[in-house]
Amino acid sequence: MLPVLRDLLRYNRAFATGVILLAFVAGVAAMSVFSPYPPNDSFVVPPDLPPSWPHILGTTSRGQDVFWQLTFAIRNTLLFGFAVALLSRVISLAVGLVAGYKGGIADRVLMSINDTFIVMPLFPILVLFYFVMRDRMSWVWLALVMACLGWAYDARLIRSVAMSLRTREFTETGIFSGMSTRQILTQEHLPYVMPIVFSTAMNNINWSIGLEVTLSVLGFTDINTPTIGVMIYWANQHTAMVAGVWWWIFFPVMLVVATFVGLFLLAVSMNEYIDPRSRLSRMRT
Amino acid sequence: MTATSTFAIAADPVLSVVDLRAYYRTRSFGVEREVRAVDDISFQVDANQIYGLAGESSCGKTTLIRTIAAATRPPLQVVGGSISFNFHGKRVSMTDVLPDALAGIRWKHLSYIMQGSMNVLNPVRRIRHSFVDFAGRHIGRPMPQFLELVRAHLARLHLEATVLEAFPHQLSGGMRQRVAIALATVCRPDFIIADEPTTALDVIVQKSVLTMIREVQRELGSSLIFVTHDLAVHANLSHRLGIMYAGRLVEEGATADVLRRPRHPYTAHLVASLPRIGHITAKSGLEGAPPNLADPPAGCRFHPRCPLAMDICRRENPPLIGPPTAHRVACFAAAQESNP
Repeated sequence: MLPVLRDLLRYNRAFATGVILLAFVAGVAAMSVFSPYPPNDSFVVPPDLPPSWPHILGTTSRGQDVFWQLTFAIRNTLLFGFAVALLSRVISLAVGLVAGYKGGIADRVLMSINDTFIVMPLFPILVLFYFVMRDRMSWVWLALVMACLGWAYDARLIRSVAMSLRTREFTETGIFSGMSTRQILTQEHLPYVMPIVFSTAMNNINWSIGLEVTLSVLGFTDINTPTIGVMIYWANQHTAMVAGVWWWIFFPVMLVVATFVGLFLLAVSMNEYIDPRSRLSRMRT
Repeated sequence: MTATSTFAIAADPVLSVVDLRAYYRTRSFGVEREVRAVDDISFQVDANQIYGLAGESSCGKTTLIRTIAAATRPPLQVVGGSISFNFHGKRVSMTDVLPDALAGIRWKHLSYIMQGSMNVLNPVRRIRHSFVDFAGRHIGRPMPQFLELVRAHLARLHLEATVLEAFPHQLSGGMRQRVAIALATVCRPDFIIADEPTTALDVIVQKSVLTMIREVQRELGSSLIFVTHDLAVHANLSHRLGIMYAGRLVEEGATADVLRRPRHPYTAHLVASLPRIGHITAKSGLEGAPPNLADPPAGCRFHPRCPLAMDICRRENPPLIGPPTAHRVACFAAAQESNP
């Protein structure tokens, strides 16, 4: 694993750029530990200061330091993205592998549920959830709801691979040798689909962060937990662009764009890693 | 006393198949289809015997051995007949065996080298894992001991232990094939079913794989069903040869007998199609194509292509007559010839 990472860093420019961007973003998120101000306190610094020392990214109209706010915001946004991706990967793996391997009734039932999720318009449903849950709509709940909505496409992808794996000789040999369904799925098929899962996980993080920002900007989430979207929401509430407080919007947007681009580059360069042959040709014997 | 008991063991076949029928039954959009891939097949395999099965593609060879291994999946169904194994006195009937009992005999007593067997190894896992996943459960020993056993087995088959740490695509086709055979024989099974294990290989690798199979078979003293459409391979390896045509066993006997004195017209054409050194005339092929098994011709399935076809062949199905160890043939014309 480590030599592969090193080689990818050295020879794949897209991968290296993605890693550098994400490392930068993760570094900013990690700085939140050192924040001198609690994330939810307002008017702890003079408002509307442009970027200058000691407030390097300026201050907001609510009297918060943009840089330290940003460290909390990006940390929560990233955690949110990872949580959604992790949960939805578990669901899509379970559904995709079982449906593809079992076939028949199991496949039909799982895929009709799957297709229902695919055709449902997600955005209105998320807004609906917000109106039903109101103040209880915390970060954790939103992550859970989005994970439950965001697995369907990838489950179909995994199912298509599992269907082809089902007819391979190694599966037949596994059945012949008396392996249980669970053993075949976890020992034989799971390692095969793992690279696809990694690649789709990147896209899923991007998708969930994008949707979270959209909801937050419109105020349809818990606006007391700082995320990138919530920062932009407050900036809009204080008409930051009209008032000339551009740094309040510019820096969060730049940071989330860096995250998107970094994840996108990683997902793209993952393709190099997905093909076991190209992986092997780099491998030392 | 001793002589009679050895005779009794030798006379008791390891595998006997009686009147086996296995059909593919499908039903889609109201259309029912029944493909009779294995129809009324009876034969037996003795201890320490290599039984060769030959026949053209889609004549039901793979279906037959799948049924024998109880590795059938819908739409393939066993419609009738019986398959019984006798593993050193432990009798198992494969048509009504319970899944638990089946798991108990597989690999340990009965192992199956699948068609395209160089792909039995999972491409994303090291070969060691394939051994552990497939064979580990049947040995019932702790992991280090099991791996020790695997290494010893590989050494016996002249394979290096380092292949265990390799991925399948790091090995050549012949090497993978040999590893697949090692994987199938690591538990020292009494009965091995090999489905075209040499088909994808060139003659040189093929020879070394065949040598390996023969060595393993001799050393373990197991019986072997060997399927290939390559008669030259059968001539080299098989003790007894069965010829299949359109889901039926049309002729069987000792390999040399069948190849030298074929009695069924299909076998005769099959043998005549083999090129020999010195032949300079062009080979004339047999007219027509094998029948559609969803709608086979009445009577003998070979009659539309048979040069010796008589009236009775169009009406009745010729039975395979004679004791199961003799040279038998399912053909009215051949029966007439031998006892006029």
